[in-house]
Amino acid sequence: MQPFTVLTATAVPLEIAKIDTGMILPGRFMRRHRRPGHDYSEAFLYDLRFDEKGHPRPEFSLNQPSYSKASIVVTGADFGCGSSREGAAYAVMDYGFRALVGPSFAEIFYGNCLQNGILPVVLPELTISEIWEQLRAKPGVELTIDLPDQVLIDADGRRHPFDINPLRKDRLIHGIDDIDVTLEHKEAIIDFETTRRKAFPWLPTSANI
Amino acid sequence: MTEKKTLFQKIWDEHVIVTSPQGEDLLYADFNFINEGQSFLAFDQLRIEGRESLRPQQHLAITDHYLPTKNRERGPAGIEDKEIRNVVEMLANNSTDFALPHINMNHPKQGIAHVVGPELGFSQPGMLITCNDSHTATHGAYGALAIPIGGSNQLRHVIATQTVWLHRPKTMRVLIDGTLPESVTAKDVILTIIGKTGIGGATGYAIEYAGTAISAMSMEARMTICNMSIEAGARIGMIAPDETTFKDLSNRLMVPKGADWDKAVAYWKTLPTDDGAVFDHEIRIDATEVAPMITWGTSPEDCAPIDGLVPDPASFADVERARHVKRALDYMNLKPKTRFVDIPIDRVFIGSCVNSRIEDLRSAAAVLKGRKSVVPGMVSPGSTDVKRQAEAEGLDQIFRDAGLDWRDSGCSMCNGSNGEIVAAGERCASTTNRNFEGRQGRNAMTHIMSPSMVAAAAVAGHLADIRHTFDTPSSFSASASAVRN
Ligand code: SF4
Repeated sequence: MQPFTVLTATAVPLEIAKIDTGMILPGRFMRRHRRPGHDYSEAFLYDLRFDEKGHPRPEFSLNQPSYSKASIVVTGADFGCGSSREGAAYAVMDYGFRALVGPSFAEIFYGNCLQNGILPVVLPELTISEIWEQLRAKPGVELTIDLPDQVLIDADGRRHPFDINPLRKDRLIHGIDDIDVTLEHKEAIIDFETTRRKAFPWLPTSANI
Repeated sequence: MTEKKTLFQKIWDEHVIVTSPQGEDLLYADFNFINEGQSFLAFDQLRIEGRESLRPQQHLAITDHYLPTKNRERGPAGIEDKEIRNVVEMLANNSTDFALPHINMNHPKQGIAHVVGPELGFSQPGMLITCNDSHTATHGAYGALAIPIGGSNQLRHVIATQTVWLHRPKTMRVLIDGTLPESVTAKDVILTIIGKTGIGGATGYAIEYAGTAISAMSMEARMTICNMSIEAGARIGMIAPDETTFKDLSNRLMVPKGADWDKAVAYWKTLPTDDGAVFDHEIRIDATEVAPMITWGTSPEDCAPIDGLVPDPASFADVERARHVKRALDYMNLKPKTRFVDIPIDRVFIGSCVNSRIEDLRSAAAVLKGRKSVVPGMVSPGSTDVKRQAEAEGLDQIFRDAGLDWRDSGCSMCNGSNGEIVAAGERCASTTNRNFEGRQGRNAMTHIMSPSMVAAAAVAGHLADIRHTFDTPSSFSASASAVRN
């Protein structure tokens, strides 16, 4: 997992609420193997970026040249609602985004982002509106997200502190994977299991049917 | 004095192995279901890392999302779409590689994981169950702690360690007291709840559904309720086990037998929430006031009783909400103030993990008996066992006589992963649980409702109020009361 510390980058406004995982990664792309060089970048928000004929929609912010280098998205509420398709986080990542900023994120999607080295930043709705205005006024302008200090610095230099679970923060900063952490507790897991099986001998331990 | 605990707290506490200094719990997963979905991403990564499954026999892979609902007899070769065939074959190969039990397309128990798991008795009170699907809370109807996990990282973690790291959610009780009116079903109850909480309203909570209306419900109805917890934002939804639960479980395949059964029941009886236990939040619903519900927008919270009107975006004080409603009505091609019952439909779908069990099919068939659907549509039973049972009862014939397609079991048109989609611009009355933009197909318009309401819409050709559609519903009212129980 790629570590995340301090990111200064162009941000793109995505002024739509309730962008669900089906919009982020349309179902028809989910059947694809995901390999280097053949990833989900094409799929990301496909139906918002392109019209029925596959032509880019020029009015859509992501299609505008001034935002082409963006690695931060500033979005509306409930981003990532809908089904728990983890590919949605991959689509965000493959498209080149490292951070999402919005008033709220769907819980499962939020967790999936952190697992994949993407930082979702929750800020008050009013702050989001103000940042949208900055991004529209000066397209291509940069924001800074400082994870160790838990602060976002907007285009006017104002500092907006944000919350993040300390464990997730630590793993994101160091790029540590969950399984590595868990296997340090392997003995405890086996002991727990032995005790549990004794107490509840009927629990299914064979699923061959 | 011992601490008063909720059902959720008892089971959660029972599964904590360690707690991280940051407050996340490492929980033991008694059982895990796997669907094809994005699981190949997890298996690919495990292979790269050279990791194996710690407890392969505590997993069951079930092919449900991508299977077409016809031509099964030809096996994978009968799947026309190459990409879909590929996904189906990947789960089979991955199950073999990691030595995981697998219910593949031609297995006699094939079906949707959230129907098959409980049907086989894998889902038992007190268990912690995981699945790479957001509707995993369905199994919570049995008093299990059933938690959706991500299809890649978390699934990879559960396969490799049989555990999952989670932050303990807050607790919410939804109390539904009273008797449901005639023709009102569990689906209407859960839509009413979601309408009240909003789609994010229960985020961060584990919900327990309780009250006399819940106690009176069948296991099928309870699964319908728990299934849609995620639409309110809650990953966990559960119902305390009771005599209805034990009776349902008693003849299932995987449940304890003999002396173990008695021990299990004794343990299960200790699980319900203690009197005086405190919830972080509580919502009350008066069952007598619940009406047949439909959705009109592009989020499950966009729902209302069928006898109402399409809302006017201007009538919402909340700016964000007004903006959403406007966008939803544009997408749904609806004008404010249109009567719901005047909305014509192009197709119906009866199926999905929320409403595809035998009781659901009975209630739809009761409406369709001796009647014709004026629009095309299909019926996909939740499992092969449900299909066999429905055929034994002659329900398949009722659906066919009405002009609907009787199909094999799977997720099918619920999200169209298997290629069975609602065409662009078509409006579908559907028993499913999600109506997001593009859910059933690009530019497809979905109205969610109960199976009997979908059947009524099929006959009427437009959204219809089951309470007023048919004057002589003799076969219907008998079954409607069955549905209420
Ligand atoms: S039936 Fe629909 S909601 Fe249920 S698991 Fe399948 S795709 Fe998901």
